[in-house]
Amino acid sequence: MNLDFTPDEDAFRVRARTWLADNLPTHERPPQGQAMREFDVAWQRTLFDGGWAGINWPVEFGGQGLSDIQQMIWYEEFARADPPFTLNNSCTFVGNNHGGPTLIACGNDDQKSVHLPAILRGDEVWCQGFSEPGAGSDLGSLSCKAVVDGDELVVTGQKIWTSYADVADFQELLVRTDPSAPKHKGISWVICDMTFPGIDIRPIETMAHTTDFAEVFYDEVRIPLANVVGQMNEGWRVAMSTLSFERGTAFMADQIELAKVVENLIDEARTRTGPGGKRPAIQDEELSRRLATCRAEVAALRAMTIAGISRNRRTELPGPEGSMIRLFHGELHQRVYRLALDIIGADAFRLTSIDGEGVWTGPYLQSFAYTIGGGTTDIQRNIVGERVLGLPRVK
Amino acid sequence: MDLLPTPEQDEITASIQAVLTDRHTLGQPMSDELWTAAADQGWFGLGMSEDRGGVGYTIVEEALLCIELGRGCVPGPFVGTILASAALEADLRAQIISGERRVGLAERLGDGYRILDGESGGLAVLLDEMVLGEIGELSAEPCLDPLTSLGTTSEWRDVDEAGDGDRATLLIAATLAGLAAATTVQSVSYGMDREQFGQPVGGFQAVKHRCADMAVKSESALTQVHYAAIAFHDGQHDDHRFQIEAAAVVAARAAVENAEINIQNHGGIGFTLEHTAHRYVTRARVLAGLRGGLRTHLADLLAQPV
Repeated sequence: MNLDFTPDEDAFRVRARTWLADNLPTHERPPQGQAMREFDVAWQRTLFDGGWAGINWPVEFGGQGLSDIQQMIWYEEFARADPPFTLNNSCTFVGNNHGGPTLIACGNDDQKSVHLPAILRGDEVWCQGFSEPGAGSDLGSLSCKAVVDGDELVVTGQKIWTSYADVADFQELLVRTDPSAPKHKGISWVICDMTFPGIDIRPIETMAHTTDFAEVFYDEVRIPLANVVGQMNEGWRVAMSTLSFERGTAFMADQIELAKVVENLIDEARTRTGPGGKRPAIQDEELSRRLATCRAEVAALRAMTIAGISRNRRTELPGPEGSMIRLFHGELHQRVYRLALDIIGADAFRLTSIDGEGVWTGPYLQSFAYTIGGGTTDIQRNIVGERVLGLPRVK
Repeated sequence: MDLLPTPEQDEITASIQAVLTDRHTLGQPMSDELWTAAADQGWFGLGMSEDRGGVGYTIVEEALLCIELGRGCVPGPFVGTILASAALEADLRAQIISGERRVGLAERLGDGYRILDGESGGLAVLLDEMVLGEIGELSAEPCLDPLTSLGTTSEWRDVDEAGDGDRATLLIAATLAGLAAATTVQSVSYGMDREQFGQPVGGFQAVKHRCADMAVKSESALTQVHYAAIAFHDGQHDDHRFQIEAAAVVAARAAVENAEINIQNHGGIGFTLEHTAHRYVTRARVLAGLRGGLRTHLADLLAQPV
């Protein structure tokens, strides 16, 4: 056990800090649509040109070939620089954190060489196509069907909760390719080009007033068989590797950022008047204890993040322990923003965007997604209970 | 940067566990055999340098030891004796490290002192000031934790120093983190064994999810204790007090909350004196109440600069 950064890591931090000071966008991120996409991919391109895209991706695919620790240092410096946007809300999230890592782990050479550099350059935006109206927590029961016809799959069905479907170029799509097999055995993971004919995207407005959420309909959409990632009918295994990234390292940026959010909130509590209208909020006993508890918990979250990185270094794929971090993080994120609204009082009435400087109301509304997306906290608890602790499986 | 124990640290932990398995029974008072074995294994001088009569490891290994003492829910004057190995006077220190002199814990109580695991005329570490002292005549009181001896005294004589207060906070937090991990294991084990409605109760989400929450709490506590221990040992992290206070907060909460929910997970048997589940509640409550308890740690943490 050690907390030492190597000289390389220290030098990397200095370089990152300097570069961020010169290159971070200063204007606000447009909240939706093409303008938002342009902002996000321009930032991705800036990262790529500066040599900061895919920090922990292999060099052969355009990444920097560095460690998860360096990736974490990058996120720490990014948070420290007070950016006007949140990486987790970027439309480049799925490409960088699910689609890309899944292709690295399970894709063939063609798939890797076509998509991975393009994701890093900001030329490709990806979205997810896992959940369906009838297959949420029970993802394995998905029914969006794909029938082989020559060298193509013909896809008919529906997906839902697809963030950024309207601006994405590609989708990581789970389809049922063998309806006669047991439910987890007949699924395939395919790369769907969002410009293929037969795709209909209908936006869904979220309670945080964002419209990047969507349902996607497929009417005999023809996808080349070459787009299947891993083997046909092996999609569940591929999807589980995707989700292990989501539960393992994908939220590292967010976990690191949360420490900064708590410090910002402590500053708010020092300057704002607390309940009763006389003393600063931080002198209110209840609020100060909750702030201190959040401070302790984000410290523990960072320690768990580092322990997770240490563990991943010894294994190929992130293990089920990632679900512990995801569960802790999701609920802590909510507690922080719940506390923020209790501190800012009636100032919370004014609706804000979901990210940006000094905003609390929008992120509070957005925080409800943290215990639902990527597997609800109930599902995370099942994974911890069954796969980490070894308790009997849910029938 | 690596937050997993090294193979050598895993061996230390395994050897501690082997001694505890051999010499300690959960729910029983500390045996003299355990105390002797602990001294033979160098537990009381684990973090002291060899030229001071110790084993030559660091506070990190002391924390690993305390985690195991917590995991075993081991009663007795361990934490006080480990802390007192920082005494400056060589003969006294040798007596402490050899296990010859057992050291309790003391805190100020009005004009007098509250003593845990001490004996009349014996030694204790005064946690308020981190001094080692000799205590006077004790008047015993029944303790919330029946395997901890509780008493008060009005007499105290300073004898030596007892090291850094942050070290005390950390080692208590480490013990609490171990307790939190132990109750997780006990609940999971019961969830596998106990059958109702024709299946192990751990298969029911109501129970399984409580176990998952316990695991997350104990994992966060253990990991933060590891982090804080290394930060303290390195001495080059100006945030080590921040990290130790954070460890104290998450570990106290994890230990107490897990111990309480562990009773619920056991149902009726968990409420009995015969079962060992209550051991963790009372042990956690006593340890979590030291050094001002959670409220003090929260205030100290919030006062830390970032």
